[in-house]
Amino acid sequence: MTKASRFTQAEATICCTAKMIEKERESSYWVGGGGTPMTSALLAQKLYVPNLTVVLEDGVIAPQPDIPLDPLMMFVSAKVNYRAAAWTSMNTVCSHASLGFFDYGILESLQIDPYGNINSSLLGGDYYHPERRFGGAGGANEISSLCWRTIIHTDQEKRKFVKKVDFVSSPGYLDGSPGAREKAGLPNGSGPYRVITPEAIFGYDEETRYMKLLAIAEWVEVEDVLEKMDFEPMIASKLERLELPTEEELDILRVYISPRGGAIDAGNWIEL
Amino acid sequence: MEVLNSGDGELFHMPDPDGHREYIRQNKARALVEKVMTEQEAVSRLVNDGDYLCYDCTILMRGPSSLLREIIRQKKKNLGVGGRFTFMVVNLLLGGDCIDRVDIGYIGIGRALDRIIAKGIRIAEWSNSALTMRLLAGAQGIPFIPARFLGGTDAFRYSGAKLAKDPWTEKEVVLLPALNPDIGLIHVNQCDVYGNARIFGPSVSPVEIATASKKVIISTEEIIDTEYIRRDPGKTSIPYYLVDAVVEAPFGSHPGEVAGLYRSDTNAIMEMLRATGDVTGTAMDQYLQKHVYGVATHNEYLEQCIGLERLLSLKQQANIKQGYYI
Repeated sequence: MTKASRFTQAEATICCTAKMIEKERESSYWVGGGGTPMTSALLAQKLYVPNLTVVLEDGVIAPQPDIPLDPLMMFVSAKVNYRAAAWTSMNTVCSHASLGFFDYGILESLQIDPYGNINSSLLGGDYYHPERRFGGAGGANEISSLCWRTIIHTDQEKRKFVKKVDFVSSPGYLDGSPGAREKAGLPNGSGPYRVITPEAIFGYDEETRYMKLLAIAEWVEVEDVLEKMDFEPMIASKLERLELPTEEELDILRVYISPRGGAIDAGNWIEL
Repeated sequence: MEVLNSGDGELFHMPDPDGHREYIRQNKARALVEKVMTEQEAVSRLVNDGDYLCYDCTILMRGPSSLLREIIRQKKKNLGVGGRFTFMVVNLLLGGDCIDRVDIGYIGIGRALDRIIAKGIRIAEWSNSALTMRLLAGAQGIPFIPARFLGGTDAFRYSGAKLAKDPWTEKEVVLLPALNPDIGLIHVNQCDVYGNARIFGPSVSPVEIATASKKVIISTEEIIDTEYIRRDPGKTSIPYYLVDAVVEAPFGSHPGEVAGLYRSDTNAIMEMLRATGDVTGTAMDQYLQKHVYGVATHNEYLEQCIGLERLLSLKQQANIKQGYYI
C-alpha cells in the first residue's frame, strides 16, 4: 500500500474512518446521512470489508450500493439500497439499535462540545428565535443514544469545537457527570467514542468523559490543532500520528465511488 | 408511574385513543368500496384547513409529490406537518403559505429554513425516530410509547416528551406521546380500486402513517386488479379499510425516484434546491408559480414542466429492477 501525498481534507477523514472500520470489521455501523459518513462506509466496503454490516435510517440493512451514486442521492435511492440483506423501515432499524445490535454510529455535526454533545438544529439566539435554523436532530439523536459507540466527523475549526453547543440535538456524555446518560433514559454503557477531523482524532477520558486528543496528522503539530478549538482538550500521554490515506484508497474514492466529486471534494488540498 | 421531567415544547396533537376510535367508527368504511378519484377531488374532500399532515416517503424517493402540489394548489391553510426525514417539503409548503406548525425531526436544508422562524411558524423539536415511534403509538391506538433515546438533550427539552420511571425496571425512560395525523399521504407502487396497496423497497413509516392517520390518501403509480392482491396477499403493505382515497398518479413522485420505474430528476431537484436556498422567498414563489399554480393537474405538470422526452429518459435510466418489480 502506497501512502498518498496529495488529497483533500474530506478524503483524509474518509480514509481514516475506513481504516477504523477495517480494524473493526466484524462490527455493525449505523451511518447517518450522506457525506463523509456514507462515503467512509462505501470505501471500507469496497476496499476492506465487502460484507460490511452497515444500516441506514430508512430501513436498509446491509446494502451493497451500486456505485457511483447519483449526485444528491447518497441515500434514499435504488442505487444505495441495492442488494441489501433486508429492506425494512425506520422503526425497525431503531428497534434493532435499541436492542443493542449496532456497535458504531457515524455522524456529522455542526458543533461539538467537550463531552461530545452535538448540534444540528440551530445557531445563535434561542430556540424560538435562532439566528440560523438547520434541519434538526434527524436520526443523529437515536444513533447517538442507541449505538454502543458514536463516531463524529467534523472540521478542525474553532467554531465547531465549542465550550457549549448552541443546542444539544444529540447526546454525548451530557453534562459529563457519572451516569448522566442513563439518568436521562439512555441505555447503559453507550456513548461517544471518537471525533475525526482531517487533522486529528479525539476520544474521551475514561474517568471524566472529557474530550481527549489521541492522534494528529503528519502535517500538523499539537498547537495547530489546539488553536482551532474553543476549548482545551485533554491530551493523551502517548499522542499518535494518523495514518495517511493510501493511493489505493484514493483511487477507489476518485474512480469508483465519487468520480464526479461531491463529498470527497470538501475542504482544502493537503500536499506533502 | 412517576413522571420525572417534561419537555416544554408545544404538543400539536394530544393523544386521544378513545376519540380516535370514535372517529374510526363513524367515518371509515369497513366494507370493500371503490375509492378511486382525482387528486383534485381527494384533496378537496379530505384535506381540511388546520389538518396535521404526515406523508411517506420523501420528495427524493417515492413521495406523494403530486398530492403535495395539489394541496398547495388548493391553497390549504394552517396545516401542521410531521417533519420526519423531510428534505424540501416543509420549504415547499411554507412557500405555499400552507402551514402554521411543524414537528421537527429533520426538516431539510437551505437558507429558506430561516423563514420558518421569520414567518412565525410554531415549532417543536423531536428526532426522526421520535416521530416515527409516536406514529407507531398512534397506529396501535395507545396513548404513548416508551423509548430509550431523545432524553437528556435540548431536543427533549423543546419536545412534548416526558421522562418517567419505568414501573418494572425502575430506570428512567422517555415517554413519547402518540401521534394520529389528521391526514396521511402515501405514494405506493401498486394499489387496487379499494385501497389495498403495495410498497416495494425500504421505507420510512408508510404503514404507521396509513394506520395512525384519520384520513388516508394513497397515490399510486398504477392501479392493479384486485385479483392480483388476492393471489399474493403477503405483498399487501396497506389493507383497504385504512384508506379513504386512491389517486392514480404515474410519475407521481417526480422529481423524486420510484425505484424500478424512474430515476430521480437531478435538474428538477436542483431547481427545487435553488428555490429553497433563497431566504427572501422570491425564488420559491417563482418555483410554485411554474410548477404548481401554473398547471391545473398532475398530467399538465408532467406535460408542461417536464415533457415527454425527459420522462422517458428518467424511465429508461431506472435500470435497477431487482427487488422491486422482479
